Amino acid sequence: MDDFLKFLEDEIQIIALSIMGIVYILKVIWLLKFKPIIEKTPAKGNESVGIGYSFMTIAMPWSMESSSKKFHKYLEFVIFHLGVAAAITASLIIPYWPQVMENGMILAIFQTIIAAAFLVGMIRLIRRISSQVMRIISSRDDYFSIILLNVWLLSAFFAIPNKNYWMLVAFFALTAFFLIYVPFSKISHYLLWPFSRYYLGKTLGHRGVYPKKTGS
Amino acid sequence: MSQEPIKSDKIEKALALFKKRMNRQAVLSFGVCVHCGMCTETCHYYEATKDPKMAPAYKADKVRKIYKKHFDWTGKIIPSWVGARDIKTEDDLKELVDVVFGSCTMCRRCTFNCPMGVDKALIMRTMRGVLTELDLAPQGVKDVSRDQWTIGNQMGVSDEDYLETIEWLNDELKTELDDPSASLPLDVENCNMVYAINPREIKYAPMSLLAAGKIFHAAGESWTLPSKGWDNTNFGLFSGDNALGGHMGKLVFENVQRLKGKSLVCSECGHGYRATKWESPNWSGIILEQPIYNFLEIMVDYVKSGRIKLDKTKNTEPVTYHDPCNLARSGGITEEPRFLLRQSIMDFREMYPNRADNWCCSGGGGAMSMSEFSKRRLEVAKVKADQLKATGAKIVATACHNCVDALMDLIRHYKLDMKVALVGELVANALVMERKAIPVMPAYAADSFLSGFRILVTDDEPDMVAFISAVLGDHGAEILRASNGDEALSILRKEKPSMMTLDLSMPGKTGVEVYEEMKNDKFLKDIPVFIITGQPELRKLIYDGSYPPPNGYVDKPIDEEKLLLNVRKILNLQHEKT
Ligand code: SF4
Ligand code: SF4
Repeated sequence: MDDFLKFLEDEIQIIALSIMGIVYILKVIWLLKFKPIIEKTPAKGNESVGIGYSFMTIAMPWSMESSSKKFHKYLEFVIFHLGVAAAITASLIIPYWPQVMENGMILAIFQTIIAAAFLVGMIRLIRRISSQVMRIISSRDDYFSIILLNVWLLSAFFAIPNKNYWMLVAFFALTAFFLIYVPFSKISHYLLWPFSRYYLGKTLGHRGVYPKKTGS
Repeated sequence: MSQEPIKSDKIEKALALFKKRMNRQAVLSFGVCVHCGMCTETCHYYEATKDPKMAPAYKADKVRKIYKKHFDWTGKIIPSWVGARDIKTEDDLKELVDVVFGSCTMCRRCTFNCPMGVDKALIMRTMRGVLTELDLAPQGVKDVSRDQWTIGNQMGVSDEDYLETIEWLNDELKTELDDPSASLPLDVENCNMVYAINPREIKYAPMSLLAAGKIFHAAGESWTLPSKGWDNTNFGLFSGDNALGGHMGKLVFENVQRLKGKSLVCSECGHGYRATKWESPNWSGIILEQPIYNFLEIMVDYVKSGRIKLDKTKNTEPVTYHDPCNLARSGGITEEPRFLLRQSIMDFREMYPNRADNWCCSGGGGAMSMSEFSKRRLEVAKVKADQLKATGAKIVATACHNCVDALMDLIRHYKLDMKVALVGELVANALVMERKAIPVMPAYAADSFLSGFRILVTDDEPDMVAFISAVLGDHGAEILRASNGDEALSILRKEKPSMMTLDLSMPGKTGVEVYEEMKNDKFLKDIPVFIITGQPELRKLIYDGSYPPPNGYVDKPIDEEKLLLNVRKILNLQHEKT
């Protein structure tokens, strides 16, 4: 393997990952400096159960009208995030365990997931551009992030057979940029998501609202 | 639109207040939104109008932009990249008032539908608090808050009025139950329960307090109303003013302690219960030793333990239930009202969606007090109206006085064939008294308890004048009639009646104008006025605070019993039994 590509796949990724890690740690420290609202009242429900339920909503599309009525959007969410996870995994496999991608079946699975995620990403981009509501709530970061992810997924699709030099360069260069950009963009939502769902679940569990009573 | 720069100290103050109010949960709700749009159709403002500017994320972004400018790392450096923006002009502040007070009832429906857990109600309340401190809240919110600060209740009920009404209701209860031991006890120490109510029960809806009195009496409960700190409602929740929130909680809690009550029970008021049980302790720092209950929980306990018995054949009309947002999404109460309704009515029809998924009545978040937004409130209530209509019920029961008002407004606006009742009222109606039978509804003598009183009936609809005149005339009142505002004022000046009933929506001089003219006239201002309408203008008279609120109101179609009860309350009369 070419030294440059090796450097890009290895050292550069580690540097980018470290930067991301440091920024994330700083971000969490910053977040924790804000005092939380503390529930001082005696509980009616169970906070732990509420927190658990709050996290599990991600796997219970029926628990939210927004995902049960628009199940296709939930499916899009699942496919897109699976694709991102697959591409991240591939970025680790290729430099350290390249033989894995020599298995045709594994490669096909990865490529299928990533291709599906790319298609979903395109649907999301088109929706963001064509829907009036989506346009009005979107910032430049929203557009840039989805375009960046789509391009990155596309590069992943072509790079993971581990044969095309320029595709590998593109994929790992984008991955490094992605790692550094993410903490400053909306893509870092996954860092805040656990905190957000934790506090919502804690409050609603405390009051006996979560787990949500059914009937509708 | 003018873009006058505002004084920088005002901007500075707004920003300082905004920063001061930031806490971890708020930072998360501001920071975690991915603009996925999943919450869009879950908001009744958007659903009814399809206006993109009513999408929850768009509305939240109006506040979020300021957060991004001052807290977000990227927003501080490249604001335009993440949509960060500062407050720059008077119009920016006006727009914020319109968004956070006029376009969101803080119902939290979108929160429950956000995969990220963004609490839009928290975002809105954060900004409401800033605007309230800058004295920019809508007039109705300011007036009600002032009354809570200075008088201790949201409808400005004086101690004298409160005590008189309790005394009057006390006698009503005895007469109705034909039982001298029945009472609405006041300031009794060491009771099991101290009962805190919504001032609407004193001012406009004595039936609900009477219903509670019957239920407590039937259960043989040891309970009391406090003479002070009796208002369980809390405009601090709506205005974002935590100090007011704490103040109102403290008033209630201190009186429970003063009376050494064993528990505190909140009457049927969604936000009142939420504020008292869940929010005020955090705001005031007072954690009451005594447990705090909702009246619904108490009634369930009575039924389950056999302390009261219900006969559901007394309520035969089909009934549906509207879950108040503050009970279902923020208070953890959804099953109790259903249990009670199934025990006390023949035909219960579930509303869809329901419980924590229910649509807001459109009057939450203090919206009923903001008359400048009434038109929008009624427009977005279309979602609720459609939901109600689909049930086919004739009565919509709820457990919140605020929802009652909002539902009555929308029922009239969308011409639905429905009435509104509190759960407690239906339970009271189904009560089976062991010792003495309770009349299903008060049975008034067709005699002369109104004799000696002259009542002016003002309405442009001849049928309505005829009906009200017949009801009041049958009970001995001397009736004067007016078909328009000018005629009413002239009769008022000439005849000085004991009270008047007034329709608000008349051609020519409207009822509101007549009312305002009366209140500005030193000879007429003390004549009690009973409003017969449910037009949104009524809310203006009740909440705007420019004039004393009317002495009572009833909606069209008029419920005869409610009309008589209210007229007797205004004239301070006890009814006679047939
Ligand atoms: S659903 Fe949540 S994350 Fe998505 S736009 Fe609405 S508030 Fe933002
Ligand atoms: S809290 Fe309720 S009214 Fe406000 S934006 Fe969300 S759904 Fe709409």
